[in-house]
Amino acid sequence: MIRLNPALTSNITESWRFPMALKTAEQYEDSLRKLNLVVYMFGKKLDNVVNDPIIRPSMQAVAKTYDLAHLPEHEDIMTATSHISGKKINRFTHIHQSLDDLVKKSKMGRLLGRATGCCFQRCVGMDALNVLSIVTYNMDKELGTEYNQRFLKYLEYVQENDFTCDGAMTDPKGDRSLPPHRQPDPDHYLHVVAQRDDGIVVRGAKAHQTGAVNSHEIIVMPTVAMREEDKDYAVSFALPADAEGIVYIMGRQSCDTRKLEEGMLDRGNTFFGGHEALVVFDDVFVPWDRVFMYKEYDFVGQLVEKFGAYHRQSYACKVGVGDVLIGAAQTAAEYNNVAKASHIKDKIIEMNHLNETLYCGCIACASEGFKEDCGTYSVNSLLANIHKQNVTRFPYEISRLAQDIAGGLMVTLPSEQDLRSPQTGKWLEKYYTASCDVPAINRMRILRLIENMTLGTAAVGYLTESMHGAGSPQAQRIMISRLVNMAEKKRAAKKLCGIGEEC
Amino acid sequence: MLKVGIKYCGGCNPGYDRVALADYIRESLHGRAEFVPLDHEHIDLVLAVEGCQTCCADLSSFEGKQIYFIAQIEDAGKFLQDF
Repeated sequence: MIRLNPALTSNITESWRFPMALKTAEQYEDSLRKLNLVVYMFGKKLDNVVNDPIIRPSMQAVAKTYDLAHLPEHEDIMTATSHISGKKINRFTHIHQSLDDLVKKSKMGRLLGRATGCCFQRCVGMDALNVLSIVTYNMDKELGTEYNQRFLKYLEYVQENDFTCDGAMTDPKGDRSLPPHRQPDPDHYLHVVAQRDDGIVVRGAKAHQTGAVNSHEIIVMPTVAMREEDKDYAVSFALPADAEGIVYIMGRQSCDTRKLEEGMLDRGNTFFGGHEALVVFDDVFVPWDRVFMYKEYDFVGQLVEKFGAYHRQSYACKVGVGDVLIGAAQTAAEYNNVAKASHIKDKIIEMNHLNETLYCGCIACASEGFKEDCGTYSVNSLLANIHKQNVTRFPYEISRLAQDIAGGLMVTLPSEQDLRSPQTGKWLEKYYTASCDVPAINRMRILRLIENMTLGTAAVGYLTESMHGAGSPQAQRIMISRLVNMAEKKRAAKKLCGIGEEC
Repeated sequence: MLKVGIKYCGGCNPGYDRVALADYIRESLHGRAEFVPLDHEHIDLVLAVEGCQTCCADLSSFEGKQIYFIAQIEDAGKFLQDF
């Protein structure tokens, strides 16, 4: 029997629907079927999100985070011990209790990136939980509020039910030159529109929400540092993903309708994918027991900054995706019988150099982390921003090299149907078999995978998400500028060349 | 018969197929060792199957037990020879 928190059994928190801790992948899928999400795609409301051929690969990627937690060969990374209950939980619901936890988070990203070849969507909720564990504590300490106890009860509920949480931060933002309270349309930043005895009512939207319709819960956070005039926008809360008034509008991905075609070959990645959605909050009620920040505008800055650091670390996943792309490029070279050419070998070396440099960054920011007052461990913010800045660049160069090695055939290949056709299949077999003994179909498979990752559906995750996810490049450069200790660098230089302290 | 428990690292970036190697060791020792769950009361030997030289598997619950580390394929051959 799962122990429920009475405070969390409000009418919109129906715990009975999810009666299992450390879910299996199958239980995760079943639990999603019980949600009543309002999801639109191609102008139509979906009846069944889980079985939709375009969305299902993304659900399967999240399911992998459940699956691996049950395997003895991955449990050391995929599970942790809850600091609340002492129980074994999925690491995605864990609050980091040590540097080792932070390092394992980075390693988990690489593991799952390689296992799925795409975005597995669950890191953002973990980052939201961790930052709220810190900021609710800091608010209580300074303001005498009771957010932290409220949050810890919610966290226990998430851990007990092994939920996937969507961490929703990015508002549509409207006019970028104006703060939230001066927007011509006040809903361009999510805000409070009414306060009631039993809770608050919010309106607005969150954009680019990765994995939104694969989530049980949605955790909302403000997106920019705020002043007093913005206090109605300084709000953080959690809701079941199917709370009344929440509407999801699915984002398109390049080549997405290939998932509607017969056959799997042209998808490239035959199992997994990602998704994003615009999430609209159309006057949504939030009970007080799920509100974690309410108009404390002074604390929004630290929430955004610390969440940013955690989420920039989370781009460890791109190292695992890079592993797949490098493996695909090497395989394509071998199929073309050019793997021994010196320039090909050098390109593969460069891809590995870039990929492992990314790995250095996500391990470093974790290893150089520190303990917050509340006990949660934070990453080193400077190194997390350096890591993410590299992520905005290196996957693009790795992709360019993969396309270089793959050759133009990657984008001129006929379809799987042409390969299967009695009229044309014989010609594709004849002309797409390279000099080595590799069947044309395998050559097509590996090229389609490279296409998928560098300009197809998975390029959303590997490239553009690497650019803009967890903050666009300039956001990291601002943080780098703020966080480097320039005075100490100058002092070191002056000391070595004989300039006195006074100059 | 010697009771052996197999403990894996998390497998973030393993240099070889740890599960396949562990299966090979199990088959090679068929009839000579009993492979038991890690929570078995009387484990004689813990075989730590690590994906790389970092050897980060959490072995804290096996304090006082004999532990043999496998960090690369070659280590399996040596283990089987020594067994």
